[in-house]
Amino acid sequence: MLNCKQASLLASRAIDQKLPFWERGMLKIHLLLCRSCANFIRQLAFLKKASRRSRIDPDFQLTDEARQRIANALQNKQKDQ
Amino acid sequence: MNDDLNTQTWLNEHGDYLYSYAFLKVKDKHVSEDLVQETFLAAIVAKNNFANQSTIRTWLTGILKHKMVDYFRRQGRVVAIGDLVDQDDEDNLDYFFKTNGSWIEKPDTFPSPESLFQQKEFWKIFQKCLSGLKPKQVEIFLAKEIHETSSEDICKHYSITPTNVWVIMHRARLSLIKCLKIHWKD
Repeated sequence: MLNCKQASLLASRAIDQKLPFWERGMLKIHLLLCRSCANFIRQLAFLKKASRRSRIDPDFQLTDEARQRIANALQNKQKDQ
Repeated sequence: MNDDLNTQTWLNEHGDYLYSYAFLKVKDKHVSEDLVQETFLAAIVAKNNFANQSTIRTWLTGILKHKMVDYFRRQGRVVAIGDLVDQDDEDNLDYFFKTNGSWIEKPDTFPSPESLFQQKEFWKIFQKCLSGLKPKQVEIFLAKEIHETSSEDICKHYSITPTNVWVIMHRARLSLIKCLKIHWKD
C-alpha cells in the first residue's frame, strides 16, 4: 500500500503525464480510500489551471518592444566582437 | 560550432524565461528587461568561456543571477548569490508529511478557480508564492508550467533526470499550494 507521501508524488506526476500501468493502479486504489489525497489531486488540478492561465500573463513575457530592443543591442554588440 | 552558442537563438529560446525569472524577484518590468539585455550582452563577451560544464540555460541564468545581485546591491538590499542558488539538495518533506508518510495538514478543497482567477489580488499572491519557492523549484516550475518547456528539454537544459523533475515538481507544488492557502485566507 502507498502512503500519502508516496501517493502525492505519483499524483503530481500524473498531472503531467500518463502513469505506467502499476503506478496508475496503485494510485487509483489509494485515492479510493483516501479523501485527503483525492483533495490534493483537485488542488493540483487547480494549480495547473492557474499556471496555464498565467502563461498569458504579461509579467512573464517580454513585450515585443523590449524583445526588439534587446535583439538590436545584441546585434550591435556582435558586430563589435 | 556548438549550436548553443548561436546567439541569435538565445533571445527566442531563453528570453521570456530569463525575463520572468528576473521579474519574479525584481518586480519591475523595465529593470527586468534591462537585466535580461545585460545578461545577453555579458554572455556574448564571455561566450568563449562557456565550457560545456553547464548547459546554456543554466549558464545564462547564472549570469542573470549575478546581475540581479549587483542590482540589489545598488538598491542597498543585501542579497547574496547564495540566496538564488540551492544550498543543499536535502529531500525534506517533514513540513508536509509525518514520518509514517501521512499528511500533517490534510488537504481540503479549494474554491472554484473561476471566481479566484478574476481577482487581481490572487495573481499577486500567485507570483509572490512562486518567487518564494526554493531556487531550483522556481527555475523548473517556470520552465515547465509557465513556458511550456517539454520534459525532455528541461532534462537537457538543467542536466537532470526525469525522476529529478518529478521530485522537484512535487516539492514545488506542495509548497505553492500551502503558500496560496496561507495567503489567500488573510
